[in-house]
Amino acid sequence: MTTPAHSPAVGKGFRASIERWTRENLNRFDVLEITVDHCLAGSRSLRSAIFDLVGRIPLTAHGVGLSLGTDAPLDLAYLERVADVVERLRAPAYSEHLAFTRVPGRETAALMPLPKTEAVAESIIAKVRTVQSRVPFPFLLENITYVFEWPDSKMSDAAFLNLICRETGAGLLLDVENVYLNATNHGFDPHAFIDALHPGLVREVHMAGGVTIRDESLSKPLLADSHSHPVPDAALDLLEYTLARQAPSVIILERDDRLEAGGEILDDIARIRARVAAARSGKAYGEALVGTAG
Amino acid sequence: MAKPLLERQVSLIEHLTSGAAIFGEGGGTAADLEGIDCALLRVEARFSYAKRMEKITAVLPRTFALLGGGDAHVRAFVARCPPTTLSRLDNACQFHRFLVSCWQHEAPDPPYIADVAAMEIACAKVDADPEHHSSDRPTGADPTHRGDIRRCPNVILLRCAYDVRSIFEPPLPTLPRMQGRAGEGAAPAKRDTPLVVAMPPGADGPQVFEVIPAIFDLLAALYDWTDPQGLDVEPDFAKLLADLRERGLIEVRN
Repeated sequence: MTTPAHSPAVGKGFRASIERWTRENLNRFDVLEITVDHCLAGSRSLRSAIFDLVGRIPLTAHGVGLSLGTDAPLDLAYLERVADVVERLRAPAYSEHLAFTRVPGRETAALMPLPKTEAVAESIIAKVRTVQSRVPFPFLLENITYVFEWPDSKMSDAAFLNLICRETGAGLLLDVENVYLNATNHGFDPHAFIDALHPGLVREVHMAGGVTIRDESLSKPLLADSHSHPVPDAALDLLEYTLARQAPSVIILERDDRLEAGGEILDDIARIRARVAAARSGKAYGEALVGTAG
Repeated sequence: MAKPLLERQVSLIEHLTSGAAIFGEGGGTAADLEGIDCALLRVEARFSYAKRMEKITAVLPRTFALLGGGDAHVRAFVARCPPTTLSRLDNACQFHRFLVSCWQHEAPDPPYIADVAAMEIACAKVDADPEHHSSDRPTGADPTHRGDIRRCPNVILLRCAYDVRSIFEPPLPTLPRMQGRAGEGAAPAKRDTPLVVAMPPGADGPQVFEVIPAIFDLLAALYDWTDPQGLDVEPDFAKLLADLRERGLIEVRN
């Protein structure tokens, strides 16, 4: 097992409703992730608060509004506006989801999976190249969590991502929580997924904590990516496993609900930093805690 | 042969945004979705619906509180108005338009809810990008005519039948981020209340001013660039214009 020597920047996604708290605790984070769509369509006060952070702390740029996977032409005007925002944020890269959220005339706001086939991968590859030509910053794709799968999906998650990233040169924003949820919900080995990713592919990481949905109509409880609770230990274990194999430059904690629990957010940041330190030391987290006598 | 992906994506999103999927109101899934677990689609539909309603409630917290359960309204809204955008404000405006259309056939309950909803939407619009709301405004017939005045693009006029401002305390600058408190305290007084919603220079959020009817009518008339000399000038008119300009309600073409 290799031990990457670098130390990724650790931070969280910027959220307007805890803007003041974020500023008060700015020194607890190495980086903040900005949702570019908030810069495009957010209120004036929100945009002002975001751009005021430029120069105070490194920022990364993340999108939710592209709907890359819709089987229709990309919105080029949107991409041009994104390019302007990424430049204003001085962000090193721009990330989006490998998913679709809309079709002409309807928008779900939820990230939907794509059929994992070579034909769909080819279509996505062409679109990623369009994004790269319009937004002159490194482009990262993020793996999503999915509740259902298309019946004609033939490729594994990792093979689908590897193919698209290899053909386009795009990096991967690896959402470790999503890997953990998908592996649990759909019954695959998350370590095998991480092992299958091409070396050097993971440039950034997302971490989060969700909830378990128990519904009588479901055959088993479903883990949901609600970004509302502390990161589960199992996801932190998977992060540590990832850090032993990949060298992301940024790790972002995503939190969208129960934002008043600032202590939980700071605790999660500390837990992530501890896993980063453990990965750097080459010792498993539990091992590092126990230490050696003398 | 499988249908084109877009057709399948359309079938999926139409299903996920339907009352059948969200509320379990019956109705099967399209043939394009065969092979996908219906129970999982229902979970996905509820996720998506919850996100949308969260956005709308964030802009209209007091309106939702006044609607109470509001279940019938929400179900009818889902059936008639599928989501078309990610935007929080656009989703809220869509719901507001739906409510207004309902109130044309049924009396608003409580009667002042229409004014509350209008004020919440106005505050959210004023807090959004002013250029967005001014794009459809005329640019003036003669751009070289210096000294013309007009209402600032990002000012919204509301003629309310009830003075609903008490419902909006604490102060409006924090409105978009506040939790719903409507319904607490006494009902607002029924009286003609001309209000101006604006973002004065230096303010960090939208503010609401009550103005006398004459000022309200003046601001309404100043939709386009206007030569102030042509207005019915009173002795203190210059002073009035200076005051309106200072409050960010009118602008002067230089």
